[in-house]
Amino acid sequence: MEKRKSVRPVAFLKKGEDTVVRTQKLTRKKARATERISLTVNGKIHEMEVGTASHQIDPAHTLAHTLRETLGLTGTKVSCDHGACGSCTVLMDGKAVLSCMTLTIECDGKRITTIEGLSDPETGELDPLQQAFVDHTAFQCGFCTPGMIMSAKALLGENPSPTEEEVKEGLSGNFCRCISNYHVVKAVLAASGKGR
Amino acid sequence: MRSFTHINARTLDEAIELLRKYRGRAVLNAGGTDLLSALKGEYLSRYPETVINLKSISGLDYVSEDGGLLRIGALAKLSDIVRSPLVSSGYRVLAEAARSVASPQIRNAATIGGNLCQDIRCWYYRYPRHIGGPVQCARKGSGPCLAVRGDNRYHAIMNSRKCFAVCPSDTAVALAVLDAQVHVSGPEGDRAIAVTDFFGPLANALRSNEIVRKIEVPKVSVSAVQTFLKFTVREPIDFAVVSVASVITREEGVCTDARIALGAVAPGPVRASKAEEMLKGERIDEEMAAQAAEQALAGARPLSKNAYKIEIAKTLVKRAILR
Amino acid sequence: MASPYRFIGKTTPRKDAREIVTGRANFLADRKFPGMLHGKVLRSPHPHALIKSVSRDEVMKLPGVEAVLTWEDVPNWKGGTPRCTRILDRKVRYVGDAVALVAADTEEHAKEALRFIKVEYEVLPAVFDIEEALKPGAPQLYEDFPGNVVTPGVPFFGPKNLKEVVRGDVERGFAEADVITEGTFGYENMPNPIPPEPPGVVALWEAPDSVTLWVSNQASYMDTVILSHIMERKIQPRTIGGPCGGSFGSKYMSWQVQCYAALLSRATRKPVKLVLTKEEHLASFTLRPASRMSAKVGMKKDGTVTAVQGTWLIDTGYYSMTTQSQIAVGCGEVQIMVQCPNWDLKPVIVCTNRNASGIVRGFGGQELKCCLIPLLSLAMEKAGVDPFEFLKKNFVRPGGGYFWRDGIWYNHRGIDHTKAMERGAEVFGWKEKWKGWLKPTAVNGPKRRGIGVGIHGSADIGEDSSEAYVRLHPDGTAMLFSCVTEHGTGQVTNYIRMVAEVLQLPMERISITPPDSLINPYEFGPAGSRGTYAIGAAIIAAAEDARQRLLELIAPRLKAKPQDLDTVDGVVYRKDDPGVKIPWKAMAVDRTITGYGRFDPDYSLVNCMMTFIEVEVDTETGKVALLRVVNATDVGQIIDPPGLENQLNGCLGSAGIDSAIFEEMILDRSAGRMLNANMIDYKWRTFPELPVIENVVMETPFPSHRFHAVGVGEIATSPGPSAVLMAVSNALGVWIHKYPVTPERVLKTLGKTGSGKGGAA
Repeated sequence: MEKRKSVRPVAFLKKGEDTVVRTQKLTRKKARATERISLTVNGKIHEMEVGTASHQIDPAHTLAHTLRETLGLTGTKVSCDHGACGSCTVLMDGKAVLSCMTLTIECDGKRITTIEGLSDPETGELDPLQQAFVDHTAFQCGFCTPGMIMSAKALLGENPSPTEEEVKEGLSGNFCRCISNYHVVKAVLAASGKGR
Repeated sequence: MRSFTHINARTLDEAIELLRKYRGRAVLNAGGTDLLSALKGEYLSRYPETVINLKSISGLDYVSEDGGLLRIGALAKLSDIVRSPLVSSGYRVLAEAARSVASPQIRNAATIGGNLCQDIRCWYYRYPRHIGGPVQCARKGSGPCLAVRGDNRYHAIMNSRKCFAVCPSDTAVALAVLDAQVHVSGPEGDRAIAVTDFFGPLANALRSNEIVRKIEVPKVSVSAVQTFLKFTVREPIDFAVVSVASVITREEGVCTDARIALGAVAPGPVRASKAEEMLKGERIDEEMAAQAAEQALAGARPLSKNAYKIEIAKTLVKRAILR
Repeated sequence: MASPYRFIGKTTPRKDAREIVTGRANFLADRKFPGMLHGKVLRSPHPHALIKSVSRDEVMKLPGVEAVLTWEDVPNWKGGTPRCTRILDRKVRYVGDAVALVAADTEEHAKEALRFIKVEYEVLPAVFDIEEALKPGAPQLYEDFPGNVVTPGVPFFGPKNLKEVVRGDVERGFAEADVITEGTFGYENMPNPIPPEPPGVVALWEAPDSVTLWVSNQASYMDTVILSHIMERKIQPRTIGGPCGGSFGSKYMSWQVQCYAALLSRATRKPVKLVLTKEEHLASFTLRPASRMSAKVGMKKDGTVTAVQGTWLIDTGYYSMTTQSQIAVGCGEVQIMVQCPNWDLKPVIVCTNRNASGIVRGFGGQELKCCLIPLLSLAMEKAGVDPFEFLKKNFVRPGGGYFWRDGIWYNHRGIDHTKAMERGAEVFGWKEKWKGWLKPTAVNGPKRRGIGVGIHGSADIGEDSSEAYVRLHPDGTAMLFSCVTEHGTGQVTNYIRMVAEVLQLPMERISITPPDSLINPYEFGPAGSRGTYAIGAAIIAAAEDARQRLLELIAPRLKAKPQDLDTVDGVVYRKDDPGVKIPWKAMAVDRTITGYGRFDPDYSLVNCMMTFIEVEVDTETGKVALLRVVNATDVGQIIDPPGLENQLNGCLGSAGIDSAIFEEMILDRSAGRMLNANMIDYKWRTFPELPVIENVVMETPFPSHRFHAVGVGEIATSPGPSAVLMAVSNALGVWIHKYPVTPERVLKTLGKTGSGKGGAA
């Protein structure tokens, strides 16, 4: 592998500081070993190699691609693939993000939760939010539902007792063409306060 | 997406060095919400060989206040700005602008640096390769701006030449009204650019291999009323059709300071300086606000399908002043 | 009153609920097969061109590429009505038309290969406007369609299939009228139904003449029928459906994407998956047809319509698969809405150089009404008629009639919908809010409120045929054989509910076969609100047949006649002595009992939906806010309360009400490109802007099947768009007749903008 110039910072920035970073240039002594990233998905740690072989994570792979194609977690749906519809929403360190607009290679060390990670792995018991979606028939075709549930999960994580307006705001990036939105709002409100 | 190599930059200087080394064949990635769209659509003339990740640089995501200045690291996420008590108490117009961007998921990923540097939304420019595209245009260095004779409903109504796309950034409008400075670093060192000077008709003011480092915002008088109004086709998700940011100070009903910026009408946020001057020293009422709104849009030269933006802009200016 | 039913009308979780909320519902894109290849389509940059040459030498050398197909490589498979559109053609007719197909080991390799296919075109002049396309000398899309006029008629609908509405004497009608209005009205914004899941397929060519396709379609059995025709009946296609991530009609015609994958699999003998990107979905899959109508109506002072005369131009894009069908149904539906004796309404289907129009909820009637109601409104204003009273008065009542799609006259033998309309008006507060034509309901500074009302009804609730089997098992379970896919309506669960009610068997003990054309009988599929009546009737008949056979078999064991027996929870008992009973096991453990049911088309029942709309218009920005929607309908009997509620709420999306507010495809009319083929620039309704929706549902028993129910899901989108225009016009005090009512249009209507280049007026 080609030797790559690298740089090492001599002064680190701390939060809130505005020190200008000055660096000195270094040349790596050794060729880089295969880059690896580690991703915790639904509590399970995945160590993955970066590269272009089929079992590896290509730098161009989105998190949605990795979840669906590499890890087989097809519960995360891709609809618009351009960050506009929310179907691919997952939690990253507890926050809702769009897995279609996230590069997997930039998720090293992150904790990801997908729709598959909400129900109890031992008993299969549904998350109260999932149960509320079942009870309120808060879906029609169901394609947008996993993303919808993940957005709602993030919302309830931050705000366990949201108002109706806050639920709508929390789901403002999620597309439902069948218009199950009304039932979704009811389901999320019903689940609020009961969540973990 | 087509493949590329990927490098996690660990310092700003490393990122600058990498940009220099790759001579235009590398792109920077922060939140990724704009870049990935471009890479997927493959509508740019050149597909990058390398993506340089900036999120791996630690300590550039701060939001702090110091010496009468609000400082925001380029990697601060829009959601952090929205949630920052510092911003929402003293720089409310910025918090509102950041909150108006896209959706919660996007705000959790998008950074303020990225929001300022995002590419234009022109639907000719962004027409995807895979449906018989991409399209060549003035901004891509070949041919005329297709919006001029095409569907220009969302395009510029002032200050454009060659390319009639508007600046899509909402935070830019708030920062313009706050007289903020964009601090950039490059191979030649560091420099500060007023937000209003940061945008141009064909590109922003970044020189080659420069990177936005932080934004500095001077303190706003506590008595000033700060307002951000964004007109969109729909409330969330959409980019502004027109936006207006204002900071207006009144003493006993008389305007002592007025700052107004228009967004999505030009290649960058536009300060309505004459309208601002007009208001100073005056008692603000409906009529005064309407006059200032007329003045703010006096320079507008609409295209075939976007004259309606003038009316909306006037309305927003008026409403912002009267708030 | 207590419900007579144990399952019908009860709220139960959907059968597939757990799969959906856990992400385990296996949608098409989630399917993987060993050795599967990925297909991609190279699309034309020109709206109209001849392919002079295609060079693919470089392509086959690329990693992973296994097949490249162009028009020269493929059989002469053709679709369209009539069948004139080749699967890959030497001619391309819109920006995005298929030029070549590639199969490779990964999606990226397939996509990369597209870059290396070199195509030389001879660019032809293109036409994008309906009327321009009809002019002499206009670019011609097909030799088969001189003047770009697509051959009218749908052979499938029978020898007299409806092509126009011509009856009575319009001249006499106009002579009798108190007011006459005329003009040109359009519904040309081409809203896109965009189901979240894009169209896609996996195809596996197995033998010289057989292909299996895993499809995503609301009507997966019909894929077999359609493909068999397209493949010239030489190939035996088998189609297997699965959860369908929305369709709204559109995926009913997925033959092109299905054929692409089939051809690539034929070339490689490997399974090929081809799923459109959202951009392809928006720019190359089907849109709602665009309509422009020049017409004249006569009306009496009491709101009686005396004559309708006009030309209805329909832009079908580069080809028509179903536009003739939509016209036939639209022509039937317009007569249901306006019981007028004198008609001279002539449709003309025109092809232009943009992507094709196809099936969308509202199927022809929505398109026609969106043009006709604005014209009728002008007459109502002149005659001083309240639109609610007008729509109520003119809608078909029992005994009233209409020519349906087959050209045959039917008399509505169903219920009077007036009660539901009146109840809707009451809930909405129509009387209190209606201030007269072009008068706002309320004014608050620059904000003005207005109301509007629209209506839709269809006899398609009994369209086409369905067949089903119900098989009873000795262990007290049953299986329903019906080729229905769940596409969001909840009907799969409801069919199980119907079987449960007939057999008095808990729903958990009833399963349904996968929607596989190989194992199930004929099924036209859930479309046109036919699911509840047509499919339901076949399934009920199958369950009843199975039950009868069971009782006949068991009768000797219980020393009774079959009619003296009943069954509940898998046990057969004597009605006169319920203690005398025997479990289904008595049929013998090595036996099953299969009942068969069939539904034959019935066009004598009409459903109805009336929609009331309240909007608030900001006259200083032009923004139209949808405040409130009241849908009023009579379904005979509610089968599934939350499912029905969901379907009615669907009035907003899928190219429905919002097609009057912000939904539109934006075509650049010089280059032929769809500019907003992405989900940021194509607008759809978001959570924070949800209006208040109230659904008024009456239950007057219908003479349909044993549960007296009819479907209404499909028609929910249709009454709203014209009602929005009416409401906005009333709010503004000025007519606004263009869809959608964008801020630009509103401000222009108010005279608040110039036409650009020179500043505001």
